[in-house]
Amino acid sequence: MDGVRARREARRSGRRSLGDRLRGGPGPGKDNAAARRAPPRQRLAAFPDLDSDTPRALLRRVIRNQPQVSPLAPQIAEHKETEDAQSQPPSRRTSSMGELQLPDLVPEGTSIATFRMTRSRKKLSISEFERAADKRLPQNQAHSTLDSTLARSLHMSLGSVLAPDTVEKRGLFRRPKNRKAIDIAAFEGGVEQNMQRKAQNYLVDLQTASMIEAATLTSDAEIMLNNTELFAQPQSGEQNQKELPALEPQLSESETPVQRSKISNAMQEEGKLVGRVSSVGTEEGRTRRYSEEELINDREHVDSMTHVSQKTSANQGEDEQGHSQQSEPMEQLSDSEEVAGTMEHHTNAGYSEHLEKKLTKKAESQIIVTPEEGGVAEGRVKHQDSPKAEPEMATSVRARSLSRHSHAFSSFEKSGTKPLKEAVEQADELEDRAAMGELDGSEEESTEDEAETEGQESKEGSMKTPMFVRAAAYSPLPLLSTPRPAKPAAQESPLQPRRAKPVPKSSGTSRKKKREPALASSYIKQIFRHYAKMPVARDAYKIVEKCCEKYFKQLSDDLEAYAHHAGRKTVEIADLELLMRRQGLVTDKMPLHVLIERYLPLEYRKLLIPVAVSGNKVIPSKSACLSGRW
Amino acid sequence: GCRPRLRAAVHYTAGCLCQDVAEDKGVQFSKQAVAAIAEITFRQCGTTFGCFLIICRHAKRSTVNSEDVKLLARRSNSLLKYITQKSEELTSNNMEQKEKKKKKSSAAKGRRTSEEQEAPVSESEDSNMA
Repeated sequence: MDGVRARREARRSGRRSLGDRLRGGPGPGKDNAAARRAPPRQRLAAFPDLDSDTPRALLRRVIRNQPQVSPLAPQIAEHKETEDAQSQPPSRRTSSMGELQLPDLVPEGTSIATFRMTRSRKKLSISEFERAADKRLPQNQAHSTLDSTLARSLHMSLGSVLAPDTVEKRGLFRRPKNRKAIDIAAFEGGVEQNMQRKAQNYLVDLQTASMIEAATLTSDAEIMLNNTELFAQPQSGEQNQKELPALEPQLSESETPVQRSKISNAMQEEGKLVGRVSSVGTEEGRTRRYSEEELINDREHVDSMTHVSQKTSANQGEDEQGHSQQSEPMEQLSDSEEVAGTMEHHTNAGYSEHLEKKLTKKAESQIIVTPEEGGVAEGRVKHQDSPKAEPEMATSVRARSLSRHSHAFSSFEKSGTKPLKEAVEQADELEDRAAMGELDGSEEESTEDEAETEGQESKEGSMKTPMFVRAAAYSPLPLLSTPRPAKPAAQESPLQPRRAKPVPKSSGTSRKKKREPALASSYIKQIFRHYAKMPVARDAYKIVEKCCEKYFKQLSDDLEAYAHHAGRKTVEIADLELLMRRQGLVTDKMPLHVLIERYLPLEYRKLLIPVAVSGNKVIPSKSACLSGRW
Repeated sequence: GCRPRLRAAVHYTAGCLCQDVAEDKGVQFSKQAVAAIAEITFRQCGTTFGCFLIICRHAKRSTVNSEDVKLLARRSNSLLKYITQKSEELTSNNMEQKEKKKKKSSAAKGRRTSEEQEAPVSESEDSNMA
């Protein structure tokens, strides 16, 4: 009696629940309530036929149909319902499966939300489902067929009746989670191995071992970093050719930032950098010569090792600073740039000497920078970190970036996209700044950045990879600084007060010369070549470079006039907006913020566009804006 | 309303100038050329006026100054020199007139001096800025 009553109640409850669910489905739902009501009615019509089924079958059907009613996927529910009603064989199969799973299904049938999740799970875990299916194959051959059907059904339509069952099943088994755990563990292990390897390499033999191993150690992130550097640098085809063989070094370069962080710590204490710097310097000097013919794989390797870390850091820092008239980073950058610039001016013989001196200085700064570089390189840094890192990295990057440039450029050329140009531009700007001196560098950056952003509105690509840009910026810095020393220096000096170089130099004599800040010609070449989309004669590049110089000179003069007109001695965003308005880039229809959002990477956007967050905070903080530090 | 009349006035003035130039150089100006010159002048005036507004706002002022004019004239060096000369002449003339008026007004009425003193102040500002 009790059993009968229970059964009757079960049936009634089942039907009631079904009816409730049907009614509840459209109810809580949304606008599709009316649409959903229609299918429930159909289901209701079908249900009387199922009266003969056991409560278990009834419940199963209810459960299966419930997700269809769920507000989250009303369409799927309807779809599922139709399929449910129509497809007998699948239902049979599901029934067979369902019987096995009924204990699992029953508890799940209580909440629509659960089904919804399972449905979503189904959508998301098709691959996992397949894997689970594969696992099941040895367990149950019957399942295999079901799995295939299920997989097919899954693929065919999410609304298939089978899909939710299988999904639920999979979810119960939790196979995907196991897979994820394994992947994470493996990944972590690999990462640790890489880190250890890198650390060892640096400690053992900075110059040779680190370079070689760095090349081999490239992690994905580093490779990305390398690519970014390369991208920024692929200005010269010649360089690219040479750098093709130096791809490896590039990879190592990318790794170096990470390694550097570790190594820098060690090096600081040991002072190995100095020795390395000297050796690298000679090589760098030659590479700096910017004569592709002189590039040697060995040198590239060595340079790449050091440069990578430098470049990435410098690039990162510089990119972040791109639109800021930052002094510190620029100083360091300028220092390194000066070194690089002077190096370029000298003959190869003289190069090595200067390089060595400068490299020593840079090594010192590099030591400081490398940890930051590592952080930056790895973490795709936030610009806040970069400002600090940049100064240090800039100096070290300078020396290295020249060689890196060639490597990076070559590699980037292959990738050849606008983002690269953006990065290169930024890198160039950063480099130039470094050469000129902090003030010049920052000024030039701002002007050049503006000019470049203004001139090349198709920089959307660069936005995708801020790190890219930074890396690229870093790498071309040393190379680019020398070719255009004159222009930026003149323009930037009036804009910012000159600062004494803060970076302590062991040999303060080698930095007396002030190279005029200028965009790296390789940088300009690369950009021009990209936008020309056809072969360009070498003479044309000279003209283009002169035009760029004139343009930037005019730009900086205008900015100075605007700042003076407003009674200020510092160029501010308002001056730049005025300039862009006069250029026609900013109109009433196109405000500056829209351009910033469209063309600048997220880091710059964070700097330029204040965002209000909870807690009565505004990002970037007002104090940061006032201090003029980016 | 006023715009077509303004355009007509500009067209007439351009025609007169072209006539003078034609007489000087012995070159003829076709009607289309004159019309083109007039149209260009009119549009340039509009654009420049818009620039004036922007630059004035940039300096946080609501009045267009000779400073703003000079800022806009920076584009071409010759134009800048010309405008600077003219502005200097103007300011010097104003100073002379102020001096004369001051002497006269001081002799005549006190109220006028006070008013004129305010004007020279503003004029001196202009000259300083120039």
